Amino acid sequence: MAGIWAWAETWELLQEVLRLGKSLGEQMGASLTAILSEQLVAAEGCFAQGADRVLRLPALPPELPMEAIVPVLAGQAQQDCPELVLIGSTQRGREIAARLAGQLQAGMVSDCIAVRFDRAQGLEMDRVMYGGRAVQTVRCLTRPQMATIPARAFPVSPPAAGSSGEIVDLPAPEAGKVAVVARKPKAAISGNLLEARTVVCVGRGLETEADLALARELAAVLGAEIACTRPVVEEYHWLPEHLCIGLSGQQVNPNLYLGVGVSGQVQHVVGIKDAEIICAINRDEQAPIFKVADYGVVGDFREVLPRLIEELKQAGSR
Amino acid sequence: MNFTLTEEQELIQANIREFAQKHLEPIAARLDEESRFPSEVIAQLAELGMMGMPYPREYGGGGTDFLTYTIVVEELCRACAATGFTVSCHTALASGPIFNYGNEAQKQKYLVPLCQGRQLGAFALTEPGAGTDVGAASTTAVRDGEDYVLNGTKTFISNGPNADTYVIFAKTDPSKGLKGMSAFIVSRDNPGLSVGEHFAKMGIRASQTSEIVLKDCRVPGADLLGREGDGFRIAMQTLNDGRIGVAAQAVGITQAALDESIRYSSSRIQFNKPLAVNQAIQWMIADMATELAAARFLTYHAAFLKDQGAAYTREASMAKLFAAEVANRHASKAVQIHGGYGYIKGQKVERLMRDAKITEIYEGTSEAQRMVIAGSLLR
Amino acid sequence: MPKIITCFKWVVDEADIRVEPASHRLNLERVGYKISDYDRTALEAAAQLKEKYGGTVTALTIGGPSAKKSIKDALSRGADQACFVSDPGFEGLEPAQVAGLLGSVIASRLEYDLILCGDGSSDRYSQQVGPRLAEKLGIPVVTAVVGLELESDRIIAERKLETNLEVVAVKLPALLTVLPDLNTPRIPGLRDTLDAAKKPVVTIAAAELPPVAAALIETVALQGLVLERNCVQFGADANAIRQLVETLRKSGAVG
Repeated sequence: MAGIWAWAETWELLQEVLRLGKSLGEQMGASLTAILSEQLVAAEGCFAQGADRVLRLPALPPELPMEAIVPVLAGQAQQDCPELVLIGSTQRGREIAARLAGQLQAGMVSDCIAVRFDRAQGLEMDRVMYGGRAVQTVRCLTRPQMATIPARAFPVSPPAAGSSGEIVDLPAPEAGKVAVVARKPKAAISGNLLEARTVVCVGRGLETEADLALARELAAVLGAEIACTRPVVEEYHWLPEHLCIGLSGQQVNPNLYLGVGVSGQVQHVVGIKDAEIICAINRDEQAPIFKVADYGVVGDFREVLPRLIEELKQAGSR
Repeated sequence: MNFTLTEEQELIQANIREFAQKHLEPIAARLDEESRFPSEVIAQLAELGMMGMPYPREYGGGGTDFLTYTIVVEELCRACAATGFTVSCHTALASGPIFNYGNEAQKQKYLVPLCQGRQLGAFALTEPGAGTDVGAASTTAVRDGEDYVLNGTKTFISNGPNADTYVIFAKTDPSKGLKGMSAFIVSRDNPGLSVGEHFAKMGIRASQTSEIVLKDCRVPGADLLGREGDGFRIAMQTLNDGRIGVAAQAVGITQAALDESIRYSSSRIQFNKPLAVNQAIQWMIADMATELAAARFLTYHAAFLKDQGAAYTREASMAKLFAAEVANRHASKAVQIHGGYGYIKGQKVERLMRDAKITEIYEGTSEAQRMVIAGSLLR
Repeated sequence: MPKIITCFKWVVDEADIRVEPASHRLNLERVGYKISDYDRTALEAAAQLKEKYGGTVTALTIGGPSAKKSIKDALSRGADQACFVSDPGFEGLEPAQVAGLLGSVIASRLEYDLILCGDGSSDRYSQQVGPRLAEKLGIPVVTAVVGLELESDRIIAERKLETNLEVVAVKLPALLTVLPDLNTPRIPGLRDTLDAAKKPVVTIAAAELPPVAAALIETVALQGLVLERNCVQFGADANAIRQLVETLRKSGAVG
């Protein structure tokens, strides 16, 4: 049964992948199959997001890494011959996708940020290359075609109530050669950064922890989440890694991004390019951030931020 | 004519450039402001094998050619002229005489720790009364049994306050003028040697400069370099090599000036456009890049000739003369391009302009270089 | 005493790329090249393992003839020998082809206990070659490695995932892909660079291998990414900040 497959390791991401799969399915005349790792949601959730069929994976015993599902997926894919396989791009998602692609001899487009379907030409997919400096447009020459889909690249839909479809239970994955020995939590995850409507991001232009406190005060007045560029994590060690925005960190799309002492290197800018409005405060007139901002203030943030905080408080009370 | 670097040279250049960007660039402004010797960077460079590059491995050196060493000096100076100069002064001016004129015992005792970077070297020729006029030197070295006793004052000695080993020039026979000068290796712990006045300088402030005072400084005969009377010849030959290092320093400064000028003029907006759209600025940058290229090729060519075993005195002087004047001209232009910002402490071009000036003065002023060049053509 | 193969890629230094403002065309005229950043981490990891446990490190790369410069670079970073698979046709291969070629070279000519790769290359960042290569060779793979211990015949690896750190055990032979958190690659000293020339290099031509498989994906276009936002400048004084806040309020950015 030809069709489009969708899998992701989190429900948030799976919804985005399903929405994309649904839209492509309508254009391509293909049905949509959700592959569901059982612990995520009930199958009904997938139907509500447009899936016609759910392939359900059983829960994995703790010593099995998530990647153990690859042989099961490969076996099922060889039976079903999907036209297109979409996999949510997380670290494990990318490994699973690449290994599945290897087993199926399928071409794969990694971290696809835009897709276009043309009846004559088929699917065209865009992805970023050269550290964020270039956009590569790729076509997959095999069947299935495969792509990994990064978070927040495609929108979600509100769920459609009362949908249903076929549920198939997949066999339990077997133990492979990699065994999980332990799982250690990272610092408290703030998924809030990805959901945030407003983000205040600090960069290397800050010099002391008192500067950071000032930025936090601004964030509080704005109701914003605080984030940072990579040097603030790796060199200053002021903020945890999950608050880092950039090519190898989070990609955010808030209504308002405010960069304080952020120079605007390409690796960081890639993480904010989808923000509705980008506003930057930097002492250095030459900072590249001003080339990609909507509004810029050239000045010392130690002077600008107190004025901004004061003005926001006054405006709020007007 | 082959104008390409070898693969090794390219790798070494890339590695030192990365090192300079990561470890030197971030601290260069502060080093300048505090006039602080870059001891941690010098230690790291020693680890990387960069403190004795052109000397044989058997003496703890890197065994490279002189061109490779020249390239390293340039890359260091691009980030911090003072640090690059500290390396070049140590390598060419201090280790050079010992390698070229020392006997085996002297090389083992003094050259090895210098090349390994475990000790720092300095070269003491200049005196308060003897700059370009080397012959006016009044420091004397009087034979006393097996030893010599040195008396006098040397000034403007780079690495003076920090060095472990000094190559010091003194007259063993004042009646013979220049031919009566000899060279000695003197250790820092010699009780007759003391560091005199430290100088606060216009530029290359992280490079430490001071007087060296010799008061009844007893030096064993074993530490005489070469023979009595060889001193002037040793000094001049050593300065030949030092000049290529100064030329490389000037090239590094000019490259930094160009980098800053391109960066600034591309992003500074006036009249709603970047400065770079103005022909005046474009021409300044074009001239800067062109003269930089010429200075670099003169410098590399002088190093190349030395490596070939060919005569290179004239070319070394030409390189230093030209590169120094280019650096001064264009560091000033770089400040001009930066406008008011270029005049403010903390901006790199402000430091570049101050750093550039010395390259026209030390290791033979531009006037002295012209004398050398003309002399080699008209004799 | 593990036998380690480190795969690395010679890539365009993306910092040198220029984008033409009007056409968005990429200008690669004056780009420099480098060993891909994460591959440096892999080479450093191999060097550290060798320092601790002994063994050998073979650096392996595929590329056009211009990639020859990468060999001494890799050898100066702790590898004992290098293997260079070279053909003009090997520029611009897609990940499945690269994995296929690497698999064919390794299977036919190289012994190994452990294969190390960067998690992704700094030019394409597809993150496919490592897992595909492992599938080709029929060995287990562990990706996103940020911590690594060797225990006789198995590796204990720490993986950095979005939600947590996962510690896994895998018996050798295995393939690991590494992230830059794993180590800080050392800057090679002078001796390392000069000694690289003395280390053995095996060069393999395309003709000596089975033909490269057809590409599974094709690049239809490659353009510069240009963000176009007109930066409206505000002064830093109180009046200007008031105007900024007003502007932000009007556009709905602040409540």
